[in-house]
Amino acid sequence: MRTRTYKETYSQLSSLFPYADTWAWYGVLMAIVLALPWLVPTYIFAYVTLVLIAVIGAVGLNIVTGTAGLISLGQAGFLAIGAYTTGILTTSYGWGLASAMLASGVASAAASLLVGIPSLRLKGLYLAITTLAFSIIVVHLINDADSLTGGSSGLPVRRPDLFGVVPMRSQMAMYFLSLAVAVLVILATLNLLRCRVGRAWAALHDYDIAATLMGINLVRYKLLAFAVSAFIVGLAGSLMALNIRYLNTDSFGLILSIEAIAMIIVGGLGSVRGAVLGAILITLLPDLSRWVLGQFGSFTGSLASGSAAEIKGIIYALVIMFFLRMEPEGLNHQWKRIKRFWSEWPYSH
Amino acid sequence: MIEAPKILEIRNLSKKFGGLQALSDVSIRVRQGEIASFIGPNGAGKTTLFNMICRLYQPSSGEIRFEDKNLLDFRPHHLARLGIGRTFQNLALFRHGTVIENLLVGMHAHLQAGVLAGVFRFGRAAAEERRAREEVERIVEFLEIEEIRNSPVSVLPYGLQKRVEMGRALATRPRLLLLDEMVSGMNQEETEDIARFVLDLRDELGLTVIMIEHDMNVVMDISDMVHVLNFGVPIASGPPAAVAADPAVIDAYLGRGGS
Repeated sequence: MRTRTYKETYSQLSSLFPYADTWAWYGVLMAIVLALPWLVPTYIFAYVTLVLIAVIGAVGLNIVTGTAGLISLGQAGFLAIGAYTTGILTTSYGWGLASAMLASGVASAAASLLVGIPSLRLKGLYLAITTLAFSIIVVHLINDADSLTGGSSGLPVRRPDLFGVVPMRSQMAMYFLSLAVAVLVILATLNLLRCRVGRAWAALHDYDIAATLMGINLVRYKLLAFAVSAFIVGLAGSLMALNIRYLNTDSFGLILSIEAIAMIIVGGLGSVRGAVLGAILITLLPDLSRWVLGQFGSFTGSLASGSAAEIKGIIYALVIMFFLRMEPEGLNHQWKRIKRFWSEWPYSH
Repeated sequence: MIEAPKILEIRNLSKKFGGLQALSDVSIRVRQGEIASFIGPNGAGKTTLFNMICRLYQPSSGEIRFEDKNLLDFRPHHLARLGIGRTFQNLALFRHGTVIENLLVGMHAHLQAGVLAGVFRFGRAAAEERRAREEVERIVEFLEIEEIRNSPVSVLPYGLQKRVEMGRALATRPRLLLLDEMVSGMNQEETEDIARFVLDLRDELGLTVIMIEHDMNVVMDISDMVHVLNFGVPIASGPPAAVAADPAVIDAYLGRGGS
């Protein structure tokens, strides 16, 4: 049983992990994910790479939609900008890996200011529609600018060596790159959300007039939420491009934005842990359900693989409805409950 | 007695909402270290007046000066830094946060960390968080809410939520504190606690407090000056005893005792 915490200094009170053994548990988790490529076959850690990229995207979206409460259906647009920036810079202009990734984040953040400006006046459904339109426009522009982006025929992406020395060809290298970015993004976001900026976002979400009188400049902080979120999503887009090594605008449809919203709703809006858990569940879900359907015989199995996109959409809709109805605070809430139970065991009730 | 300098001066302030004259030609002076009360029936324009001081509404005409600055030159998010804090008539807490988090938001204007400093949380940013936490703990102690400091505000009873909101306003380090119907809906004990806090704020920290209040016991007991509004028109100003005896105030608001 874990006893109550006694703190002697204010810095202990505001530390990231209030319990010493939390570090130990995350250490164990890190050891497992670091050793993963040597423990499991390639297709599994290739799959985990996809999960990690989804985690980065969800953590990014969670900042603007979960914490600051500004609904964004523009995730696909920001991912596309990030992906194509990396694709174009590495393939056509010979940029290095790190600088191309950084440029993806910056390009996506810059584009987010365009969507951010209407967000100063729009709320809820109207903002959702505006961001959705943004996403569609981005895909349209990419298709039209075919001299730069390859248009509808697509764009092959070169995967340069990291800093010119670390070879990135293997799937294992891609796995570690995604893991490093995911860990950095999670730590950065956790820090950001517990400082002045993160508190301002949460405050303007809950009560914007009161937030103003606390000295929070709504214009600045809404734009900042969009920009920081889009920067992270741009990184995820960049990793997508490097991972698939071939870009096509078909992969940046509406379903991608819905998927991202589903992740943060399932995980629990506003929580970084929730975004991580939600991203894992939603990424696994289509394959999980295909496997389940396959168990019922070849007909349902072939139905599932034949119309994968449609099935995906239905599953996301069902999952979102289920969570909104049964557990609006998401997986994060369940996680806390379970953790409380075991940390008070055997005296839990 | 030497008169303290003015901290807030409202001159000929009027506000029209379409055809409705919410406030007409209001002039009020509040001196430093004073506890002033705005009273009047519902719809008298008290909250409208607060909202104009907080720059949420633009006056139709008139002037508001705070410590020799023209308040009309500022936007609402400047007020915390200028030294004006406020609570709201209906609770306006950040409901997803804990008590401590709500109070820390109040410190916003006095902290500096931007995105990069927040992300890395080295040196200055970490030290700043520590100082903020220390200052917030002093407010927790002052308002006697130690036991609930880590509770989410949404689970607290109404009286305590109001107290947290007062704490959040104090965290903006105000010299002028605006309290909008602080004790409405509170029981006797909670009301007395609030009255004691208001007096302590003035006596120990030298704050100037303006209250909008319907509880006449509180108004009469702790105010230095009472300003009465009726249908947007100021009908009396003065010390509590004088205002309570004013026939116009009795007619409009207090009512006559007996039968």
